[in-house]
Amino acid sequence: MEPHPIRLVVMDDLRRSRLTVFFRLLLLIPHVIWLLLWSIAAFFASIANWVVVLVTGTASLDLHRFLSAFVRYSTHVYAYGFLAANPYPGFTGSPGYPIDVQIDPPARQGRLGAAFRLILAVPPLILTAVLVGTASWNATGERGGYDASYSAGSTGSFSALGLAIVVAFLGWFACLARGRMPQGFRDLEAYSLRYAAQTYGYLFLLTDRYPDSDPSWPEPAPAPAPPAITLHPDGDDLRRSRVSVFFRLLLTFPHFVWLLLWSVAAFFAVVLNWFAVVFTGRAPDALHRFLTAYVRYDVHVFAYLFLVANPFPGFTGAAGSYPVEVAIAPPERQSRWTAAFRLFLAFPALLVTSSFNSVLVLVGVGGWFSSLATGRMPAGLRNLGAYSLRYAAQTDGYLFLLTGRYPYSGPAQLPAPLEDEPEEPPLAPLAA
Amino acid sequence: MTTARRRAVGALALAFLAAVYAVGVVLLWRSSIPGGLDLPNLDAREYFGAAELEKARDYQRFVRVNFILTQVALLFVLGFYAVFGPRFARESAAGRIGTGMLLGMIGLAFLWLAQLPFGLAQLWWERRHGISHMGYGRWVLENWLGLGGAFLFICLAILIVMALAGPLREWWWLAGAPAFVGLALLFAFLFPYLIPGVHPVRDQALLAEAKELAAQQGLEDIRVEKQDVRELTSAPNAEAVGLGPSQRVILWDTLLDGRFAKDEVRVVLAHEIGHLSRNHIWKSVAWYALFALPGAYLIARATRRRGGVYTPAAIPLALFVLVVLELLALPLQNGITRHLEAEADWLALETAREPEAAERLFVRLGTTSLSDPRPPTWSYLLMQTHPTLIQRIAMAEAWKIRAGHASP
Repeated sequence: MEPHPIRLVVMDDLRRSRLTVFFRLLLLIPHVIWLLLWSIAAFFASIANWVVVLVTGTASLDLHRFLSAFVRYSTHVYAYGFLAANPYPGFTGSPGYPIDVQIDPPARQGRLGAAFRLILAVPPLILTAVLVGTASWNATGERGGYDASYSAGSTGSFSALGLAIVVAFLGWFACLARGRMPQGFRDLEAYSLRYAAQTYGYLFLLTDRYPDSDPSWPEPAPAPAPPAITLHPDGDDLRRSRVSVFFRLLLTFPHFVWLLLWSVAAFFAVVLNWFAVVFTGRAPDALHRFLTAYVRYDVHVFAYLFLVANPFPGFTGAAGSYPVEVAIAPPERQSRWTAAFRLFLAFPALLVTSSFNSVLVLVGVGGWFSSLATGRMPAGLRNLGAYSLRYAAQTDGYLFLLTGRYPYSGPAQLPAPLEDEPEEPPLAPLAA
Repeated sequence: MTTARRRAVGALALAFLAAVYAVGVVLLWRSSIPGGLDLPNLDAREYFGAAELEKARDYQRFVRVNFILTQVALLFVLGFYAVFGPRFARESAAGRIGTGMLLGMIGLAFLWLAQLPFGLAQLWWERRHGISHMGYGRWVLENWLGLGGAFLFICLAILIVMALAGPLREWWWLAGAPAFVGLALLFAFLFPYLIPGVHPVRDQALLAEAKELAAQQGLEDIRVEKQDVRELTSAPNAEAVGLGPSQRVILWDTLLDGRFAKDEVRVVLAHEIGHLSRNHIWKSVAWYALFALPGAYLIARATRRRGGVYTPAAIPLALFVLVVLELLALPLQNGITRHLEAEADWLALETAREPEAAERLFVRLGTTSLSDPRPPTWSYLLMQTHPTLIQRIAMAEAWKIRAGHASP
């Protein structure tokens, strides 16, 4: 696949200064003010750029440079705010920041797409809001927009923190405790920032290439340790039956009923498993098998509901029965201490899962329209949905004591070999 | 066993079954309506104004055409689905029974889509005549949620049928029919708890009246509730629902909004209590039981060439056969419900002893619901679940004559 004209370059070493992390929000104040002023200028510049593209079919070089610097600068600021990078960013959006954006020079763009750019950009703007902003719905059902400062209206009957904000909140504690940002968190932030940069690049007519929501492209950094629970949507060919898509929610009703019944049994199985692991350090085979099937079935049902997969799933959670396949490692020894406090330890992962769920709902809604129109699920959305489901499955597996390994939040798809983390990780640039 | 002997045993079993059915029909058809009761031949124009009659006929004409078109669309869509539906099996990773469930649900989904325009047309017509106040969006949403309920039901039904077809293969119907009767009983029991917007009646006078009428009909006590439907319709209605501890009478609030006199409400109450005192819900389930066995057998027979309901590919055809059988049984089914309704009417006359109020009620029901007092025969057979208004008025007249003869 041809590289996207807007790319994120990650040169971050994960180390964080505890002092600046502690005061990170306060340190951001000058940047927020400057970003606000710059946003006003960018607003008018983007209108001018829109007119230029409509007339000439290509963005003006000066405007392109200005808006590229704005997108780069806002990415630096948010990377800093979200703890995805450590150094204090400059105020000019110059290249070279550890989380940086590369933007190709202006190229010809379709005038029709440019004319309707604001409308076409609405779906990625909504997804960006869910990834890095604050999504909200007010009482009349209107959806709060997403503004240049990555935040939207906070009043309403429903509001959800963006995935990146939740991860930054949790990362703040991790950085203070360890002086390092967990790699999974950093990679997730990098993915969110990449998507936001591509969205704004698209909105400002820096490119006519649609933002790519695929977390598996380009290949993200491998996980530092092989996860015990992995998910592979490889069996899915992206084709969707329009009839079953149209009625997808209702078709899932029987599964909801069965899942509910199964959940009751799973609850007691988890309690028994907890006692078993706390006393023996290992999950009994029978319970592990039962809960593994439950987690797998849960993933099958939600993969079906949110169009991550097409076929109607079976009711048994059998391995190998579904295109979105969950692989769960066999029972392994676990620390009794972490098992004893598993509910509390799982809390951060549950928080992240709840944000991933918002992403998943959006994947389902976006995929619904797209699948009805084209009969296919966009690969990017499908993979983002699979990513969300994978994290949820890992959280379930950890909470249910199927594994002692903490959920890995990075977008890396394949398990990497278990290796000791080097003291000083090499600063190889990573495209995200 | 020789073929001749096998045939003889089969014929004997069939004769025994026919005898059981005959006894069942005779027992279930028994009624409190006196034998040989002559209903006077009345002229609708004596009770309804010419304008009212014309309005009701005009209204019902559209309803009938819409009904016919709905049935045609339904048969066409399901026929088409019976042929092409099995290809949806490739949309499933759910195994034999799960795939059957999916095919059943998709069949219902097509059915829903096919009926949607006719349902909307009916709503438009009802709104135009002031019978319904429901918004189109709400109607579609409620229908859509109803489809979700139907999905659950069909899944349960297919689960039973296909699970039985596992060990029993083509003989599944022998166990399937009793299982469905059990389900019908369960549903009849649970139904009162599924009705939305139901509250206990607070009117002590009405409750006392219900108690008195129940006592007259041999019931110890009766639960009376009110359902809020005013926002959706202006049509009055009432129903008797539930089995055993769940049984109750539900009156729509449109019946209690002051348009109907107390003696008219008393007649309605007596009618609904009549359903409960004569065990009409039990009888309905028993009638269903009589239909269920041959119905299940015919479905098993019709789907045999597709491997029977053991194979998911047979489910679309089974759905089609089921709907065709239901359509064929409709005149019979309506005949049975009309019979039960007539008995409830008679009991209402016997216990409320308000024939004038009953006549006024039926006339008013005609004008508020725009019912045709004398519908065409085909419509009477296919669409009429209650006796016609003129038949109901005639029964009140007959009761008056009979009571006049009986009174000293």
